[in-house]
Amino acid sequence: MNNNMNSEQSNGSLGIFPKSWSEQHAGRIPGNIPIWVGILSELTEFAIFFVAYFVAKFYYPDVFITGPQSLHTSLGVANTIILLTSSYFMAKAMVNIRLDNLAKCERYLWLAFFCGCMYLAVKTWEFHWNDLQGFSTNTSEFFTVYYYMTFNHFLHVGWASCAILWVIFRLRSGAYSAQNNAGLEALAVYWHMIDLMWILIFPLLYVLR
Amino acid sequence: MIKRCGKLEWFLFTLIAITLFNTFLGERFASTVLVNIIIAATVTYKGFTVIDHFMELKSGNKHLRFLMKFYFLIFPSMIIISAFY
Repeated sequence: MNNNMNSEQSNGSLGIFPKSWSEQHAGRIPGNIPIWVGILSELTEFAIFFVAYFVAKFYYPDVFITGPQSLHTSLGVANTIILLTSSYFMAKAMVNIRLDNLAKCERYLWLAFFCGCMYLAVKTWEFHWNDLQGFSTNTSEFFTVYYYMTFNHFLHVGWASCAILWVIFRLRSGAYSAQNNAGLEALAVYWHMIDLMWILIFPLLYVLR
Repeated sequence: MIKRCGKLEWFLFTLIAITLFNTFLGERFASTVLVNIIIAATVTYKGFTVIDHFMELKSGNKHLRFLMKFYFLIFPSMIIISAFY
């Protein structure tokens, strides 16, 4: 019984998925299974937001035409570029940990962290700018969806940036190497998921009119 | 490895270029069906690029890759559908 449990854990299935989902049958799982449970939960949460967006747009098409024109598009573009660049830095950190180049890996993690902070600063400025224009959650159905979606995403970037600091601390204490980097990779895939959500949010709120 | 690093940079520049192109489309043109199709296609491409090359699911678990890619087919399809209402 115990041996069976150990073999399930070692093949990455934890005994909760069908055998066909195991790493031997379906391919390597980047990071670890718990982070993917988290990622799929987050994707479900954002999927509900996206469905709410399309339902609201169906019922209130006019405010979804004027709404994006009221936003500071340049700030949305800047944040998209910042997040894409942060994903690149995270991918480079993974490349370097696999080469056992810890110093370079740490440098790229700091750069990703800096991008996360930049995103938060730009988004805070955007919320402030909106406030100066008199926009709030009650302005229209578009702004209700806009604040619900972007503030939620803002929180995700915030806590993932804190997670980068934790991973840097672990890296410095020798927890990761070329052979053992699942924790770092788990953070990397989570960060890419946050980037992916912004890739969908950006056209919905800033581009489509 | 040099080739791999070169690839990552290429993907980053492509993703940024697509973002700027999408913004140009949104600023210059009203949301016609054609504009929505172009934006949906580019969003799908951006999503697939991050999933395959940054998340490294191209060589990873095929079920996770399918789920992630399915997500980036469903919601861009809804962008196209939204052009009709």
